[in-house]
Amino acid sequence: MEIKTEQFVEIGKREMNDPYAQTFLKILPEVLGVMREVGMASYTDPKGASTYGASIRREAVARMPELLEQLESSLIANGTRVIWARDAEEANEAILKIARDNNIKYVTKGKSMVTEEMNTNEMLIKNGIDVYESDLGELIIQLLKRPPFHIVGPAINVPVEEIRDIFLEKGIMTEPTLDPTELGRAARIFLREKFQHLEMGITGVNMAVANTGTIINVENEGNIRFTKSSPRIQVSVMSLEKVVPNMKDALYILRLLCRNCTGQKLGSYITFDTGPKKEGEIDGPEELIVVIVDNGRSKQLLNPELREAFHCIRCGACLNRCPVYAKVGGYAYGWAYSGPIGQVLNPLLLGLDRTQDLYRASTDCGRCKEVCPSGVNHPRIFRYYRQQDVEGNKELRSVKRPWSERQSFKAWQWAVQSRKNWDRSIRMMRPLLNKGISSPGLRRWVKPLNSWMKSRNLQTMPAKTFHERWKDLEKEQSQ
Amino acid sequence: MSDVSLFIPCMVDALMPEIGESVFRLLRRLDKKPVYHEEQTCCGQPAISAGYNAPAIEAAKHFISIFENDEAIVSPSGSCVYTVKYDYPILLADDPVWLKRSESLSNRVYELSQYLVDVLGLSDVGSVFEGKVAFHESCKNLRGLGVSDQPKKLLQGVRGTEVVPLNGAEICCGFGGAFAVGYPEISEGMVKDKSTSFIESGADRLILSEPGCLLNVSGYLEKHHPEKRALHLASFLMESQEGGN
Repeated sequence: MEIKTEQFVEIGKREMNDPYAQTFLKILPEVLGVMREVGMASYTDPKGASTYGASIRREAVARMPELLEQLESSLIANGTRVIWARDAEEANEAILKIARDNNIKYVTKGKSMVTEEMNTNEMLIKNGIDVYESDLGELIIQLLKRPPFHIVGPAINVPVEEIRDIFLEKGIMTEPTLDPTELGRAARIFLREKFQHLEMGITGVNMAVANTGTIINVENEGNIRFTKSSPRIQVSVMSLEKVVPNMKDALYILRLLCRNCTGQKLGSYITFDTGPKKEGEIDGPEELIVVIVDNGRSKQLLNPELREAFHCIRCGACLNRCPVYAKVGGYAYGWAYSGPIGQVLNPLLLGLDRTQDLYRASTDCGRCKEVCPSGVNHPRIFRYYRQQDVEGNKELRSVKRPWSERQSFKAWQWAVQSRKNWDRSIRMMRPLLNKGISSPGLRRWVKPLNSWMKSRNLQTMPAKTFHERWKDLEKEQSQ
Repeated sequence: MSDVSLFIPCMVDALMPEIGESVFRLLRRLDKKPVYHEEQTCCGQPAISAGYNAPAIEAAKHFISIFENDEAIVSPSGSCVYTVKYDYPILLADDPVWLKRSESLSNRVYELSQYLVDVLGLSDVGSVFEGKVAFHESCKNLRGLGVSDQPKKLLQGVRGTEVVPLNGAEICCGFGGAFAVGYPEISEGMVKDKSTSFIESGADRLILSEPGCLLNVSGYLEKHHPEKRALHLASFLMESQEGGN
């Protein structure tokens, strides 16, 4: 997937001018939000449930190094092979090597955010190995060559006509239909044949249990179960933060994840895999390989300001509540992760230099934080990123702020500490601002004012500040 | 009569001083004696939000020095109150002396409706308005301070006023300071939604208790729906005796 995080404004504008996208965005987040609320209402204390979930995640992240080592031992003890990958390239190379060593022609894939992040599909295809996404939404966007629109529903915005056309074009079906059931059936038959002869499957991981070495996946279509159980070789790819201490914690997070994601108490298919097929068992892969991918995470793990980013369980609840996402949709975020969590993760993983708009295009309204079941304070992290740009942070590849902005905050600092200086600044600003407000020609040169007044009026600055009116008010008081 | 210290947001001071006057007159009507420290400037919110912590620390220290001896500090802006209560301790975390001073001040800073309802125990402040009003829940008031019942109680206490529900009242209006000018298209989309739900609510007035939101929403209404009016809670409570529409 091409990284387009630098085109946030451009793509966002395009989406805001797309009537279909807009109609859709008016409904989707709202509906998913309500579904979530209904799901959460099945807890006696929904807020308490989120708080507990957040503390489980906090502990898991705080103990991550130790838990990952424990996970490795448990996996090996179960007969699972473990591959550590420093970055996407190493992980992809390892996956490619497995495929080549086993003479693999094609793989099926379960929906996985980390392989989106790693661009695994493209790498495999480039190397002559076909990839079939087996989640219906992922299959559709793979055929259309589009990034995910939503981290949970990647193709949720694609019109049914477009799905019909691409299915016909790619030979997934031969007779045109707009019936969703028929479209689903066509994809099913198409994929079933792939599963039947499958030699290698690739999936993500929702959770990996440290003390048992169990890999957990949640889904609603059964395709991950097929991908995991059909082939001879199964590769599960996980990022570092997927590890949880034990089964009790895993099950708690699982319940929270499903409710926050789709409003379900549990997803339709939940699979627990502990090791490859054992003697006497009738199904499961002969070889199970877990690839644990760092890709820039561990170097921020000790950063207390960013640690929360690893709490995320990818439920997507923050997207559905975000007023900015509701305007621009998922494509504007330009990469694997969209919405508020994308504004947190993409800068962390790609660097601040490539993601400037992501952590600035926020009103810090706090609805994401409010709804998050794993204790991520997104707006606080946005502010942290902005602060790093101001103060400089090589590791995060911060970008120096424009000269004019730095100068104005210098002036602001001078003014804010004394009312005399503050009043001087106001007296200087007033005629300039008022002239700009009343003259559109002049205004064109003052970008912020121009931006504001394109869609809004601005009253001219009154001749007297409150401070200057106080004397009169005081008189009023003494009367 | 007891003293109450006016914490006038810089935006109110320079752009909407009449809101400050309404707060003053309202408190006077309630038999309070408002005091105003003339040295006050800005709480530092714009700098914090832009990531300029060093200048913000100077603003915080200036603010604390001015206000720290007051018993009750009242502001017509929840976001400014939020800054003082919750951002200052983070800004000053590495400076034990200032941190302590900031923490000791924190519990004495109130958003206007919080002060009127929670501290003074009022709901009827003597206002009359024949008509319907809708209330926009500003982000920092609702999710930052947990202030939502208080302004509504005050509105319900206005004789003749019916408070009607506003669809998506808790959704951001699209202001966000630098956001509104940095991302004008997205911001416009958001404020348009807010204005649409106001119109659909059938209310005569949209009441807000945050100057930033007011600047945004009323600026949009003036341009696109000049017959519709949004106003600050303090201004509304002072506009007693006025008829509907």
